[in-house]
Amino acid sequence: MIVCHGEMAEGMLDAARMIVGKQDGIVAVNLREEDSVESLMDRIAAAIEEVDHGDGVLILVDVFGASPFNASARLAVQRDQIEVISGVSLPMLLELAVQREGQSLTKLVEVAREAGMSGIRTLSETLDKKPVEQ
Amino acid sequence: MPVIHVRMDNRLIHGQILVSWNAEFRIDHIIVTNDQVAADPLQVTLLKAVAPIGAKVSVLSIKDCVAYCNGNPEAEKENIFIIAKYPEDGLALVENGLKMPVLNLGNQAFVRGSKKISNTVYLTESGVKALKKLHEMGIRITCRMMPPDPDTEYWPTIEKTLPEWAK
Repeated sequence: MIVCHGEMAEGMLDAARMIVGKQDGIVAVNLREEDSVESLMDRIAAAIEEVDHGDGVLILVDVFGASPFNASARLAVQRDQIEVISGVSLPMLLELAVQREGQSLTKLVEVAREAGMSGIRTLSETLDKKPVEQ
Repeated sequence: MPVIHVRMDNRLIHGQILVSWNAEFRIDHIIVTNDQVAADPLQVTLLKAVAPIGAKVSVLSIKDCVAYCNGNPEAEKENIFIIAKYPEDGLALVENGLKMPVLNLGNQAFVRGSKKISNTVYLTESGVKALKKLHEMGIRITCRMMPPDPDTEYWPTIEKTLPEWAK
């Protein structure tokens, strides 16, 4: 599940569709301006019901400590088999989309973390150039 | 003055505060104050665990919040950002002795019985009454989601939008 400010979560799912095709079992939840943490929790809880077939749910959120994270965290601490990870990016989502089948939640958290970190690279280091002096 | 800002925000600590308001103020201490939240160990644990900006986070009852800000020598050295959950909490802070010239309305998401003022502010009758009391005490009510939002007096907007509750 992806939970973000504005329409980012749906946008990410849409972007992922362009690269890895339509994904069953991944849902997007948007935080709207008029939401409270509690109203957002209700939609996340409904989405958990929709996607959890007993193997757990990984919730990808944008900013650590912000409302999508806080609402997810309040649900996650009350149940087993739900993990929340911040810093969602398209590289993270794509890697999860292709690797999630048959993997445990613990393993997927590692996949997500690794993909998120290694998704950040500069052209200069890739070409082994020194950054241009300012 | 230790307390630099009082915000009434029912989303409590969230992205706008961690990013925009912290950049504006360099917050040393965030105090979340609401009697129900302070009595809920799960919410207290999460609020304290997830504020990543290096500021101290406390979750206090209204009375404890005022006592800390007015009487604790620690408080004198801090930039304190208070987040009261509802307008009623803002009023309770003032009635318990917190001295503030301005109280800011942040996000007040829809709750049962509330009416819309803007996309981000819904008020209940009791919330409007609390803000009215603050206004009558000479306290300025502002409505700023982010620091660049105008610092204008917001009470006239409330009075105009919800006259049935503001009279």
